[in-house]
Amino acid sequence: MIFNTPIFFWFFSIFILFYGFAFLKQTPRVYLILVGSLVFYGAWNYSFIPLLVGSGIADYFIAQAIFNAKTKQAKKRWLMASLAINLGLLGLFKYADFALQSVADLLAVLGYQASIPTLSWVLPVGISFYTFQSLSYTIDVYRGDMKPRKGLVEFVAALSFFPQLVAGPILRAKQILPQMHAIALPKWDAIKHGFLLITVGLIKKTGADLLAIPAQKAFEAKEAISTLELWTGVLAFAGQIYGDFSGYTDMAIGIALILGFSIPLNFRVPYFAISPVDFWRRWHISLSSWLRDYLYISLGGNRNNNRTRNVFLTMLLGGLWHGAAWTFIAWGAFHGAIITATHYLANLPIFSRFNQSSAKVVTFVKWAITFYLVLIGWVFFRATDIGSAFDIILNLHLLTNTVAAGSHAMTIFVMTAVWVLLVHVMDFYVIKGADKLENKPWLFWLLMALGQALCLFIGEPSNEFIYFQF
Amino acid sequence: MSSSTSNSNVTDNLAMTTTNDSSSRKIYAKAVLAIGLCLAIAMAAVNSYLDSLGVRQQGVLGRVTEAREALPKIIAEPNELVMFFGSSMTRAGFSPRKFDRDLKAQGKSITSFNYGFGGLNPYFQDFLSRRIADEFTQNDRRLKLAMIEFNPFQTTQTRWNGAKPVIDSFLTLLASDKELLEVTKQDLTRGIHLFNVKYIRGNISAEIITSFFGRELFPPQRHQTFKDDEETIAEQRRLGNLLNEKFEQEYPDFDNAAWSYDWRGAGTIPEERSKETLTLFEQYYAVTQTDAAMKNDRLSRIRSADIEDLNFEPLLVESFINIVKNFQRFSDNVEVIMLPQNTKWITNTAAGKKRLADVVKQIEQATGIKIADHQHIEEITPAMYRDTTHLSRYRGDIAYTDYLVKQYGDVL
Repeated sequence: MIFNTPIFFWFFSIFILFYGFAFLKQTPRVYLILVGSLVFYGAWNYSFIPLLVGSGIADYFIAQAIFNAKTKQAKKRWLMASLAINLGLLGLFKYADFALQSVADLLAVLGYQASIPTLSWVLPVGISFYTFQSLSYTIDVYRGDMKPRKGLVEFVAALSFFPQLVAGPILRAKQILPQMHAIALPKWDAIKHGFLLITVGLIKKTGADLLAIPAQKAFEAKEAISTLELWTGVLAFAGQIYGDFSGYTDMAIGIALILGFSIPLNFRVPYFAISPVDFWRRWHISLSSWLRDYLYISLGGNRNNNRTRNVFLTMLLGGLWHGAAWTFIAWGAFHGAIITATHYLANLPIFSRFNQSSAKVVTFVKWAITFYLVLIGWVFFRATDIGSAFDIILNLHLLTNTVAAGSHAMTIFVMTAVWVLLVHVMDFYVIKGADKLENKPWLFWLLMALGQALCLFIGEPSNEFIYFQF
Repeated sequence: MSSSTSNSNVTDNLAMTTTNDSSSRKIYAKAVLAIGLCLAIAMAAVNSYLDSLGVRQQGVLGRVTEAREALPKIIAEPNELVMFFGSSMTRAGFSPRKFDRDLKAQGKSITSFNYGFGGLNPYFQDFLSRRIADEFTQNDRRLKLAMIEFNPFQTTQTRWNGAKPVIDSFLTLLASDKELLEVTKQDLTRGIHLFNVKYIRGNISAEIITSFFGRELFPPQRHQTFKDDEETIAEQRRLGNLLNEKFEQEYPDFDNAAWSYDWRGAGTIPEERSKETLTLFEQYYAVTQTDAAMKNDRLSRIRSADIEDLNFEPLLVESFINIVKNFQRFSDNVEVIMLPQNTKWITNTAAGKKRLADVVKQIEQATGIKIADHQHIEEITPAMYRDTTHLSRYRGDIAYTDYLVKQYGDVL
């Protein structure tokens, strides 16, 4: 079920009737959330429900075993069991074929033609998200940051909580479990804000679907296209992936709010970032903070002069998390490289003055460099293979590319840029000043109706969200 | 709410710690009412806007709708019935009124209809032909002759890929509830989506609008590889405007029907037009069929329909076979025809010819009907086309209708 489809509308309408009018006590509501979430998940492929529930049950009991273990070694063994189960399943479903194919390719390079069988298994939707979510629980219990929770149903309901189940944000156990333990009744302001976020998310998704057209043209061009059109395509993809992904999480946060749950922000106007480090504080915050807290720190963080290695490894694995392809690994490596370069340059005296300057022109230069680098990164992310990515990057910078641009090329470029900017301005306003709008009921509901009308009018429900594949 | 707080903090501040039955019901009743009203207003606004644009009455959708609505009237006709069912090539190439008039001269009382639709493909035509078959069989009426066009380039993978944005709109327009229910049983998400498009959106899916805006906002490269000189372009525009004026003068009561019953679903006929208009037409075709225009048209057909290489889409071939079988249910005679091909501009590759021969064989085996290949008949010359595929008004359509009278007059 995708949020911007009729089936979800009817599902959620029925769910709300039970949730708001019939199942009013804590325990029935938890059961209702669990059943609703499994129905929501099963709409994709019910055969993966046991996988979701199974990993939840396993981690629930493993967390208790970690807590009850008498020695550090025993705790560690239980944690390893959790890691093995979660990462094993993730590896099996998501990376096994990629690994086998890579081995076959390597052998072919070495002159051995090996016929290696592949699994060709369907990737369970949302597995990357709920695996990390479940792992955060066992790791937190192992570290002593939280005690294991009582109540298996509550735990599985929290893990499978449908608004954020398939595309995040990745919730930590300590964020969602207390809320699931005492489900709150939302205030009217929360419901309004939730509906605003749903509408904003729908608008973003609608724009993203339109931007897919020039993006596809650039990345899947069957014939040579002009440099301007290539830049337009890359910019369009930047807008598409942001609109698509942040739009989905806005809707997730909005739906959760209506149910009385608070989910933290996942994006904070990322294309306004003024350094690669800043970008990762604004982009997919729930993933970057998860990687920081559970991977980067586990690797040693900033200690032992291994900062560069740890940053690079973290970003590399962050790239790999997105998908089993060399393009994602390259994207992660690219971000690892520009972040470590940023750290390195920040320590050079010549750059430190520049870095600390608050002059507008300096801020603009920093923003421009960062945005350029992010765009180059998206080429790796979107390209069909590494070779194509390098070709595109080369053609983006070849001033000798004399292919004539279509007559609308400049108009499309400007329109794409304006849309990306508008979405960021809209986001900025939602974060900073939504309450002003929500306190003017007539204007608020009029704008909501207009926004909904726009999304009902235009839209492409058949376009799945990009992040469903991760 | 503080304007400086993050969303996370905002939402943290919004939860109440206590809940009771009546407060829950109250807050959710208010939410359902407000959000429901908001969505209802939004949906009403969308439908009103679509109606104001007239999208349901225009283009392919409008023509199909009007042609379907005409079925009860067709069934009530006293004469024997003939239907030519096909693509825009049928629409442009067959004049029912001339056909009927010529047969009347032979003492045969026939009423024929042009059921040619641009923008459809066999997948959609399959559903449309089922609806026609339903109407005829329910009323115990039969066609004396069904001529069904097999259009090779409408049946290609390229054509199918290009049709994807309109699938849901056309499907909900043409499929019965029973057929949609079958879809729902196989794919709940898709089924609910289709019912939503049919009953809440009035057959206009969001995809069809998005693809329209997509094309408007981000037009595909126009590949006007070949250019006419400014003088020729100006003359084309001038003559086009003149013809529009003439049409308004000669048909003051025309109600903008996309499928006119009075004209049997086809276009105007030369007998209704003034000499001056017919001369204008000649001049118009002369300036629009330039070398550059025809080359561009050919290129666009290659890109949009794979017209020369003909890589067929199996689903569309199966759909075409279904069309023939649907017509066999209620027709005394069924003819499957390949319409004339503008061989001056369109030449199938050797591989394309081989694939076409295979598909023709497949259709003939599945339907038991030998396909009548009119692609290279000598009665139609390259001068009788308005572009690389469609026969021209008052030349090609008349010549081809004459040919059809000769070919099929005997079975009527």
